Amino acid sequence: MSNRTTEARAEILDRLSRVLDKASPLFRGTSDLRMPEIPMTVTRSEGDSRDLARLFASKLAATGGSCEIARQQAEVSERILERMRTWKADGVDAGEILSWAPRELPIPGIEDDLERVGISLFVPDDLQDEPVRMRAASAVVGLTSAAAAFASTGSVVLTSAPGKSRAASLLPLHHLVLLPTSRLYPTFEAWLKELRRGNRLGDLWRSNAQIVFVTGPSKSADIELSLTLGVHGPRVVHTILFDDNP
Amino acid sequence: MLSNVDRPRAALFVTCMVDTLYPHVGKAAQQLLEYYGASVVIPEAQTCCGQPAFNAGYRNEARKVARHFLDVFWPAVQKGDVEAIVAPSGSCVAMVRVFYDVLFSDKADELDAQRARDLQPVTYELTQYLVDVLGVEQTAARFSGKLTYHPCCHLLRELHVDEQPRRLLSGSKGLESVTLPGADDCCGFGGLFAVKNAELSTAMGRRKVANVEASGADAVVMNDVSCMTHINGLLERGGHSCRAIHIAEVLTARQGKDHGKSVSR
Amino acid sequence: MTVDVNAPYRQRVSQALQDDSLRTALDRATARLSERRAEAVAAIDSARLRDEARAIRQSAIEDLPRLLEQLESNLIGNGCAVHWARDAAEATSIVLEIARRNEVLHVVKSKSMVTEEIGLNEALEENGIEVVETDLGEYIIQLANEPPSHIIAPVIHKRVEDISELFHRELGMPPTDDPAEMCGAARGILRAEFLRADIGISGCNFAIAETGTICVITNEGNGRMVTSMPRVYVAVAGIEKVVSTAEEAILLWQAASRNATGQDVSVYFSMSSGPRHPGHADGPEEMHVVLLDNGRSRMLERAYGDAALCIRCGACINVCPVYREIGGHAYGRTPYNGPIGAVITPLLADDPTTVRDLPFASSLCGACRDVCPVKIDLPRLLLDLRSDMTTQGASPKLERMAIRAYARSMERPACYRLLQRLARLVGQLPLRLPFMKDWTRTRDLPPLASKSFLETWGEE
Repeated sequence: MSNRTTEARAEILDRLSRVLDKASPLFRGTSDLRMPEIPMTVTRSEGDSRDLARLFASKLAATGGSCEIARQQAEVSERILERMRTWKADGVDAGEILSWAPRELPIPGIEDDLERVGISLFVPDDLQDEPVRMRAASAVVGLTSAAAAFASTGSVVLTSAPGKSRAASLLPLHHLVLLPTSRLYPTFEAWLKELRRGNRLGDLWRSNAQIVFVTGPSKSADIELSLTLGVHGPRVVHTILFDDNP
Repeated sequence: MLSNVDRPRAALFVTCMVDTLYPHVGKAAQQLLEYYGASVVIPEAQTCCGQPAFNAGYRNEARKVARHFLDVFWPAVQKGDVEAIVAPSGSCVAMVRVFYDVLFSDKADELDAQRARDLQPVTYELTQYLVDVLGVEQTAARFSGKLTYHPCCHLLRELHVDEQPRRLLSGSKGLESVTLPGADDCCGFGGLFAVKNAELSTAMGRRKVANVEASGADAVVMNDVSCMTHINGLLERGGHSCRAIHIAEVLTARQGKDHGKSVSR
Repeated sequence: MTVDVNAPYRQRVSQALQDDSLRTALDRATARLSERRAEAVAAIDSARLRDEARAIRQSAIEDLPRLLEQLESNLIGNGCAVHWARDAAEATSIVLEIARRNEVLHVVKSKSMVTEEIGLNEALEENGIEVVETDLGEYIIQLANEPPSHIIAPVIHKRVEDISELFHRELGMPPTDDPAEMCGAARGILRAEFLRADIGISGCNFAIAETGTICVITNEGNGRMVTSMPRVYVAVAGIEKVVSTAEEAILLWQAASRNATGQDVSVYFSMSSGPRHPGHADGPEEMHVVLLDNGRSRMLERAYGDAALCIRCGACINVCPVYREIGGHAYGRTPYNGPIGAVITPLLADDPTTVRDLPFASSLCGACRDVCPVKIDLPRLLLDLRSDMTTQGASPKLERMAIRAYARSMERPACYRLLQRLARLVGQLPLRLPFMKDWTRTRDLPPLASKSFLETWGEE
């Protein structure tokens, strides 16, 4: 840190400390509000895992995304292939899917299943490398899983790690998410509570260069408030939710 | 309800604008209070609550005027000569109830702050007093033509008085009300804002006028003559036949005459 | 652009009021945003959310130095470089230094009011660095060479036709009335920019002290691009943006989303805690955070802490009857407009008298206070700022004299009565007073009553 910023730091912190030491009121409006022990759960979500799955699907659909619910893990591979066939019929030809590493995907053998129908997975190693970047940028389908998902809003959590590129869920126009129901929580707050209780929250954030909550396809309403999907991020977000707890 | 012996005593704070421009509104307010069971005193030394100076940022001047208000009204309340102060104006009552605390927040003004605190719980806007204290639910007012109600901002958002005037209007069988589109939109008066930002104030007022026209009402009713002056100013200049009337005049209207004749002139 | 942000206040307001297409655009957009907000807020326990959001923001401000130190320590522990800037000049020179060291030629930015506040784009461009705004609305106004006119919807003042004409002129795109077509064109152009940029710059919606995290809200995905694709990432954060925990940030995010656009949540909430780790395929190799004061500590010194609670949702702007008439550019050269802008702009200005009109650009209707998710009493702050202005002597002489005369008469009933009688004698209200002309230009005046109420019915 340069001298100037050290100086700035000292001055700013000093000024702030002096203001707060003075104990004169900082606020002119309501000031006698108690800090919640745990912030409230903003959205509502109730029911068993089947209800949660349905709620997730409907919330995601409301944002312009889509979700199919597979009864068992064994179905998923075929559903992925079916999805690729449907997209192909719509003109989305994914010869190569920009993907997370197979070990990070919750469907064992998916790489081979796709290979059999002529679709390969491209797992980028370093997007700072120009040829890798260009290859990733030309993908039309991205494939990932998610660390957790939330029924009350239709959101998923994407964390970063080797084999889990950010690009896979960001660059292609179509984003396919494989989600086991064991990772589906009623709300953000329920997940946070679990992490906090297990003392894992701080570490999860600190150890992840980036955590993103993604809720449906990218959109903009900047032009006369009319909604357009797929502005910079994906236009299609399709989740395959499956029960991994038979 | 109220026994004849037990008439609540109210001091009428007529407000400087009503006093100077619309004395009939003051008279109507007094009539309503007396008709519904209050005994009214009118302290002659009253002038203004101080809001014009306060809103414009001149707190020293506002304090001078506010102190005079306290000098006039506090002794009567403190001695028990009156139980309430009533004004036909939401913004003036808001000045006393809400902003006198701000005005007298300095430690040096503690005595004035205390006097203000003594008055605040018993200072009422007219319809607030009629409904909440005197228990009025309807009137025998008769008005030919459709009415629409414009909630003045301080009444609505500082005093949270809205149900009371609406109840008096809708409860009175001789009055016909229609909905005002964009009712909660500010009319654009805003005190000195009306002249400091005249062009903007006019634009906002014209929008209110357009909504009043759209409602199909023959008259728009409100509780503050400040907004009323601004809206009427635009209605007249714009050649509209509709007029803005103070609610006190509507609630005392009897003959159902053409509104042009009976309103605040 | 019909409103010249560099013109004096009165002129700006006049220009805005004469622009019918601007007012149509503002009307439609603010109405729709307010409706959506109302629905989203009615669907939850919004009273409780407001209380908690305010409590969270308040306690953060009350604990600011400690939280900032905790934030810094965790950011550094995560591998970030943390810089402190007292003012705009220091902040821009820090970013320039980072750019120079990395031999940067191209910058991509996500929407950030704080970078507008410090004039970052101009500073970079003056030094030969190309800056591309990537938020669609910001990209459009960059093409148009205009400042944003709303903190959430920067191009709210333009209609489809205006944008089509702009794209046609600047990008050679054939005219269209289809927003999706224009978005598609922008997507293609900006995609190339994301992939070739050397540095990504963002603002900061919330900074989490406990974990050392910078949170960015977007719907388009440009926030993710800017914080992931370029080799270097710089986040500029006002010091008031810090909160203690992730739970708090996530509550505030939900409050901001509902109040800004009526969404339950924004499409993306990117939480960046550090540069990429070994083995990661993407993410910046360097992450810098610039903590900016630029008047914020002074705001607190002057006991205007309420203004620092703002979570930049824009709900106040969308219900403001003044904003609806004049739009954002009428507030002048500031990224902060509407009710919160009328408060923050003078507070952050080095010389508040240069923006003395802003606290008076309000009828104090209170609609803003009703919708603020952190319960800022904006009318109260405006009143306090007005008082500050007059105390500092920044008020018109004639007005001051008139107010003094008013106070003197109102203090003494005899004086008051005399004034009333004199006015009646003259026959009309003193129309020769300058401010009377301002009234009568567009409105009729009622006549003075021949006798005042108190004269007629007053008693001892």
